[in-house]
Amino acid sequence: MKFSRLVGIAGLFLLAASLVACSESSGESVATDTTNAVAAETTIVEGFPVTVGDLTLESKPQRIISMSATATEMLFAIGAGDRVIAVDNFSNFPEETASLEKLDAYQPNVEAISELDPDLVIISYDPGNLVEQLTTLSVPVFTAGAVADLAGAYEQIEQLGALTGQLAEAVQVSSTMRSEIDAIAASITKADPPLTYFYELDPTPYTVTSNTFIGGVMAVLGLANIADGVEEGNDYPQLSAEVIMEKDPDIIFLADTKCCAQSAETVAARDGWAGLTAVTSGSIVALDDDIASRWGPRLVDLVRTVAEAITSVLAKS
Amino acid sequence: MNSLTIRGLRVEYGGCAVLSNVDEALVAGEWLCLIGPNGAGKSSLLRALAGLVNFSGDVQLGGRPLGALSNRQLARQVAFVPQEPELPADMSVTDYVMLGRNPYISTFGRESAQDRQIVADLIDELSLSVYARRLLGTLSGGERQRVVIARALAQEAPVLLLDEPTSALDLGHQQHALELVDQLRRSRNLIVVSAMHDLTLAGLYSDRLLLLHQGVGVARGTARQVLRSETLAEFYGVSARVIHEDDGTVVVVPQRSNGEY
Amino acid sequence: MTTPTVFAASRGSRAIWWVLGAVSVVVVGLLGLTLGPAGPTWWRVPLAVLDRLPLVSIDSGVTDAQWNIVWQIRAPRVVLAALVGAMLSLAGASYQGVFRNPLVDPYLLGVAAGAGLGATVAFAVNRDATATWPIDPVPLAAFVGGVIAVALTYTIGTAFGRSRSATTLVLAGVAVTSLATAVQTFVLQRNNDVVRQVYSWILGRLTSATWGDVRLVLPYIAVSAVILLMYRRVIDVMRVGDDEARTLGVNVNLVRIVVVLAATLGTSAAVAVSGLIGFVGIIVPHAVRLLMGSSNRIVLPLSMFVGAAFLIAADIPGRILTSPSETPIGIVTAFFGAPFFLFLLRMREVRQ
Repeated sequence: MKFSRLVGIAGLFLLAASLVACSESSGESVATDTTNAVAAETTIVEGFPVTVGDLTLESKPQRIISMSATATEMLFAIGAGDRVIAVDNFSNFPEETASLEKLDAYQPNVEAISELDPDLVIISYDPGNLVEQLTTLSVPVFTAGAVADLAGAYEQIEQLGALTGQLAEAVQVSSTMRSEIDAIAASITKADPPLTYFYELDPTPYTVTSNTFIGGVMAVLGLANIADGVEEGNDYPQLSAEVIMEKDPDIIFLADTKCCAQSAETVAARDGWAGLTAVTSGSIVALDDDIASRWGPRLVDLVRTVAEAITSVLAKS
Repeated sequence: MNSLTIRGLRVEYGGCAVLSNVDEALVAGEWLCLIGPNGAGKSSLLRALAGLVNFSGDVQLGGRPLGALSNRQLARQVAFVPQEPELPADMSVTDYVMLGRNPYISTFGRESAQDRQIVADLIDELSLSVYARRLLGTLSGGERQRVVIARALAQEAPVLLLDEPTSALDLGHQQHALELVDQLRRSRNLIVVSAMHDLTLAGLYSDRLLLLHQGVGVARGTARQVLRSETLAEFYGVSARVIHEDDGTVVVVPQRSNGEY
Repeated sequence: MTTPTVFAASRGSRAIWWVLGAVSVVVVGLLGLTLGPAGPTWWRVPLAVLDRLPLVSIDSGVTDAQWNIVWQIRAPRVVLAALVGAMLSLAGASYQGVFRNPLVDPYLLGVAAGAGLGATVAFAVNRDATATWPIDPVPLAAFVGGVIAVALTYTIGTAFGRSRSATTLVLAGVAVTSLATAVQTFVLQRNNDVVRQVYSWILGRLTSATWGDVRLVLPYIAVSAVILLMYRRVIDVMRVGDDEARTLGVNVNLVRIVVVLAATLGTSAAVAVSGLIGFVGIIVPHAVRLLMGSSNRIVLPLSMFVGAAFLIAADIPGRILTSPSETPIGIVTAFFGAPFFLFLLRMREVRQ
């Protein structure tokens, strides 16, 4: 081989190696580069002490309490489940939660929580001074609030990963979620004009607009919400049956199958609903209430279900 | 010496005059009785003097206009016994009479030893000692009337107003109550203005009568002068016989019209 | 109210009730510090409290962490319960005095509805914008709402001519309450996601009591209580009715305004931190009257003691019975309220 070519190849090799070395030594995991929703202050690094948001943990927590059903699912998915000692009474997935002590997230008893001697408490909602009270008792509290979009969900998983010393696993889980969801989204044909949907929260019926988390997910999958613009400023409007008739959505999603025993049959039986396109073409999708209201790893299942519904509707038409 | 002068007194309710052009002059120790049919304005006159309704005209007590006085100051000058006084059932007699001392106790203060002495003395004077700690709800009609008078006297006011003081009492108690008032006004030199239905009693106890009709004084003077059967027929619409006793008492006796209507 | 006895109690026998009142507050307060689902064993707590007194040193065996529970979690609850209980009872007794009706409660003139509306609005807009505020907007909004509602009631009530009677005010209060409730329902309809929080607030709770809350309400309640207690002799004079009280030298309208304002100030502050705790303002003054007669000179201050002890006591079962959850205190007081009114009903039947 000519000497100049060797030098050139060696040089390229060196360049590539130095680039890789540089990116490794910055200490930032690959996943965080793509989550552009990460705030500048949160430094997600491996190892303790770790700071996420306002909370700094000195050592790896061994007694974790989760007061959020979504956080519970996330914790178990990233491998921190064996260190969870108590959950709230809505945490029902995975199975292992059945044997755990249940707490009330809406009327929390601070003394009872502190008696369990936790070294990390995760909440999604503060009913009033809870964070302040727990902090006074020197109990570390992290607020994993409801997220606005998918990016927020991925970030939260990684935040929990950092706090529990399961960062690598968390990054794995979130990037797997991301790639699966992206793949499903890409595989759906985006109709033009887009398919319309009605998302039912309860039978009265209350619905959501695209401005909510679940609405945003639907929008990413190329669906148009019939409730958008109906009531300015209200993201959880109660639609009248007339409006639904008039807009005649292509798909109806039921998020009240468990709470309120709704199904395709009960919807078809409602006065006037029998004539809707979604009813006659069998495009009523029954979702699991829990999966539909949480933003944890089971989001993938939700997206898959929605995608299947879209595909089948497009196939019929 | 206190004197009560009323000139051109006028009281209006919603644009309607219930009293107009009333003139009177009273000196200490005098008892004026207001008579007249229902709605004549007797109560309105008393309430105007007590500061409970607005009036126009000139009312002066001892040369000072009543209208210019504050609630407290007026309460020290005029004591008002309403027709149906409110007597809280579980208040003690002593506490109730003590209410009359309110115009002399500062708003945020307590009653003084002197106030307590005055109340105790009054209770003795009106023969209520036995009832001093009794609760008002346990008293009979006659006793209640004495208690209310005691409260009015506790105000130490030179003017005493009585609205139908006898309507709820039986004959015996009526007499007792009126005798009591008479005795008190002489001993304390009070100016007494009362409104009464019973014309005979009115004439018997008061010095002068004022007959009101539709808000206007239509007759004034002694019982003999005012209580005449023509006068009564005209303003009361009653057919009555007026008898003059030897001792000066004027007795009004309603007559049955003999089956003619 | 019919008379339970023929004679009024003498001065001497009344004095003992003050002592009993004060002692009961202290005893129940200590109980409140002692009982709870966590923390040190119960008999260690009084020892720990004594240990904290200057010049006293006892080994109570209570760790710092456990003492934190007693002092940082339970103590503010007990103190707040005492303040709120005393305030609501005093306000209730004062209203009952100036409106001459033993069944009015401190929420009469629209305070409850106004505070509820304020809290609802605060919850509805309490999103990211206000999350960074140094003070919690909910108590502030509740307080402002309560005061505005009563001001509105007073304006409406006195605008209709000369009839400044108590009844007119009460009717105006009903109107304002209806309006505020309607607006509140409308706001909730448009902000469905905060229904749960609003409901929880309305039920009343002392769970989230902190020393900060105590500091927040103390000045308002103190000022309100002082004013109301100062007027108690005059409120007694008003027992004979507006007209007679006027002839006795009382400026009835002024007294009523001042009492309403002062009571509203204190009640709004109490509601702001503890939500709508019902029944206290009616039950306590009524019970005191049954025992001591209707003289407001005694009923007003004694109601404060009894109200404080009552609410401290009512707070205890809520945190123990359903642990690790909490039962809102409004439910506990309601549980007391129902049988109490039945008892009152029965007493009236017996008398008649």
